[in-house]
Amino acid sequence: MQRIFALVAMVAVAAIAAMAQPTASVWEGIYTEAQAARGSDGYGKSCAACHGASLTGTGEAPALQGAQFVSDFNGETVGDLFDRIRTTMPQDNPASLPRDQYADILAFLLKENGFPAGAKELDRRSEYLKAIRFEASK
Amino acid sequence: MIGKRTRLLLLGTVMLGVAGAAQGQTGANVDWPTYTGDIAGSKYKPLDQINAANFSKLEVAWRFKTDNIGNRPEFKLEGTPLEVGGVVYATAGSRRAVIALDAVTGELLWVHGEKEGARGAAAPRQLSGRGPSYWTDGKEARILYVTPGYQLVCLDAKTGQRIASFGDHGAVDLKADDDQKILPDLVTGEIGWQSAPTVVGDAVLIGSAFREGFTPSSYRNNKGSARAYDVRTGKKLWQFHTIPQKGEVGYETWLNGSAEYTGNTGVWTEMTADPEAGLAYLPVESPTSDFYGGKHPGNNLYANSLVAVDLKTGKVKWHFQFIHHEVWDYDMSSAPLLMDITVRGKTIKAVAEPTKMGMLYVFDRITGKPIWPIPEKAVPKGDVPGEWYAPTQPIPSKPAAYSRTGVGVDDLIDFTPQMRQQALALVKDYKMGPIYTPPVVSRQPPVGPIAVLMAGAANGGTNWPGGSFNPENHTVYVYACNSCLSATALVAPPPGMTDLDYVEGRVGQRVVMVNAAGTNQGADAPPVKAPPPAAGGGSGGRALTVNGLPLLKPPYSTISAINLDSGEIVWQVAHGETPDYIRGHAALKGITVPRTGQTGFNIGTLLTKDLVIAGDATVTTTPEHPRGAMLRAYDQKTGKEVGNVLMPAGQSGSPMTYMVNGKQYIIVAVSGGDHSGEYICYTLPNN
Repeated sequence: MQRIFALVAMVAVAAIAAMAQPTASVWEGIYTEAQAARGSDGYGKSCAACHGASLTGTGEAPALQGAQFVSDFNGETVGDLFDRIRTTMPQDNPASLPRDQYADILAFLLKENGFPAGAKELDRRSEYLKAIRFEASK
Repeated sequence: MIGKRTRLLLLGTVMLGVAGAAQGQTGANVDWPTYTGDIAGSKYKPLDQINAANFSKLEVAWRFKTDNIGNRPEFKLEGTPLEVGGVVYATAGSRRAVIALDAVTGELLWVHGEKEGARGAAAPRQLSGRGPSYWTDGKEARILYVTPGYQLVCLDAKTGQRIASFGDHGAVDLKADDDQKILPDLVTGEIGWQSAPTVVGDAVLIGSAFREGFTPSSYRNNKGSARAYDVRTGKKLWQFHTIPQKGEVGYETWLNGSAEYTGNTGVWTEMTADPEAGLAYLPVESPTSDFYGGKHPGNNLYANSLVAVDLKTGKVKWHFQFIHHEVWDYDMSSAPLLMDITVRGKTIKAVAEPTKMGMLYVFDRITGKPIWPIPEKAVPKGDVPGEWYAPTQPIPSKPAAYSRTGVGVDDLIDFTPQMRQQALALVKDYKMGPIYTPPVVSRQPPVGPIAVLMAGAANGGTNWPGGSFNPENHTVYVYACNSCLSATALVAPPPGMTDLDYVEGRVGQRVVMVNAAGTNQGADAPPVKAPPPAAGGGSGGRALTVNGLPLLKPPYSTISAINLDSGEIVWQVAHGETPDYIRGHAALKGITVPRTGQTGFNIGTLLTKDLVIAGDATVTTTPEHPRGAMLRAYDQKTGKEVGNVLMPAGQSGSPMTYMVNGKQYIIVAVSGGDHSGEYICYTLPNN
């Protein structure tokens, strides 16, 4: 019985791994304008104190807008960036928001960095976001 | 000692094997027994199995991810492991546990952590710290480290269990055992330490650190010190007061009795020692409040000094104050380098101190006499109300500064004339000047200035990773951030924040309490109860960039070789791949940009027989390599890069090397961006 369970677990892991192969790009309209608007509010409440109202960073908190920010995550997936924010921010109370709100805030960051909005909201599940490539340029 | 009321929960040790028995002792073994490889601070081992010809062939021997050493992953792994007898010892994770690993395979042998509850949560310096230390008398071996909650813990190197005969059941409560009463109480009283203790003979040296000093909550604080403990018993041998007590020499340099209430002035970084001379070398930091010193007028000994103390008694033998009445956060940041040099035919036991100022200060380490004159030079006087200014500061005549010390027009971006013009337009609301241009009260343009542009302050020149030296060729190899720009200014604090007259801030922007990196991120840190700030309440303002490019021109960081027989900079190279956003920048198309290096302050160098080894701070993706950061090797003679190997993230802790059974290894700590902390061990292919 245990062996069967282990086998099932392995298959599940393999399925997630297969699912996580990045197929889409951050340039393909992966969030909605409404979601980014919600995220703007969330950013003001939870992020702006350190990263600045205009995302330019203060002190040790880096800028979240601009070429350097985008290039730091170039080649990763949107899921990697999502999990970095979700598990470690805000710094004084990490992982304290619901996943939906983290997704909204990430949508706002994408908009501020010039990535286009689309028809579908950014997903709240890391595994799905890992299927989206984060690319500095199209 | 830890009383009943403050007794901290012992998380305990999970033992998975027996350290020391993991590997046989056949073949050549070269250990790395202290944070800097030895107690002189060299970071040097004369190994050459890994060399210029084969460095690029390095492959990963093993990796150790630190995510589960604590209740949350850490993205700031700054440790340099030790290696002794085939076992690697390191601090790791948001718990700052000690781990013992098989040096060849990376297998976890034991792990020891302490749950410190509210005391750990209140610690000013959290997360994994810089490392443990090792002691042996040939029969018994011990590991010592300082927890976030400021306990000195002594472990059996074989098992990771506390040594019961040391202190109180294996630990000394460094708060309770301080001869100054820690306020307000032992649980929340602000003092801690994140560095690796220094073991000299049977003594272990301990320092002290505090919260970040940009926005302190009071001009009064607990005081720093350095202490020595008996490594066998945990008994305190001596305590050196960095702020002299009444009746002690130097007390008079704190005017208006300010020595009584001023705090901080810790020894937060690594210490070194010369057992033959019987001296320990203590680099001392700034007093309370990094940028405003109006509450402690005077030169403030022994703040911002190198102090040589008697190893047996802790009494001052000599001292040198680098900065009188410091208001730039240029505190002494790294291990003094104890090296023997030959100047004008004479052998000198020297000590060299790299600094955030980007200047290397060199002394006779027995007498404290400068090797080359360090004259007092007049410096700009500021106009912050209530501030006290030292009229002069010592500036070394030799060696020349090895990184940017001030900010002037010539330091601004100049890829194109238009960019220089944009930069000039941007800086017109700021004050620029040479080193020791003091902070200003922030004023709105057109009155201005908004702030002073400083090359460094908190992050410039050389920070905690420090320098390294080769005792054979008498040369210091040191990394420096050349572009860590700070726009520093003071504002009156909002009501209720502090009793200081000024804190670091910017006119028109909300003053934000600046915490040390890692605050509230340790494993004991509970969720914060305070409500989030109101929407739109953040501090914004224009970024100090030109089209997204750094305001200062490259090189953004350097490695310098400075020969201390001659006092000359032998070579200097930009360190680190040109960042993607600069290489690919539309405005730079058609312009040849030599390697720029990278902006960052946490890079340390490792020396082997002929190589200088250091990693990039941040990741890049180039035609030559996939996304990653490069661990690079340079020829010590020329600075020419002779090889590199890919790391999955930037170097965040200084590399070290060792040999087990005739095979050489290099370990480096990486973390940052979305990559949580990991120790990576490299070696050559077996064939």
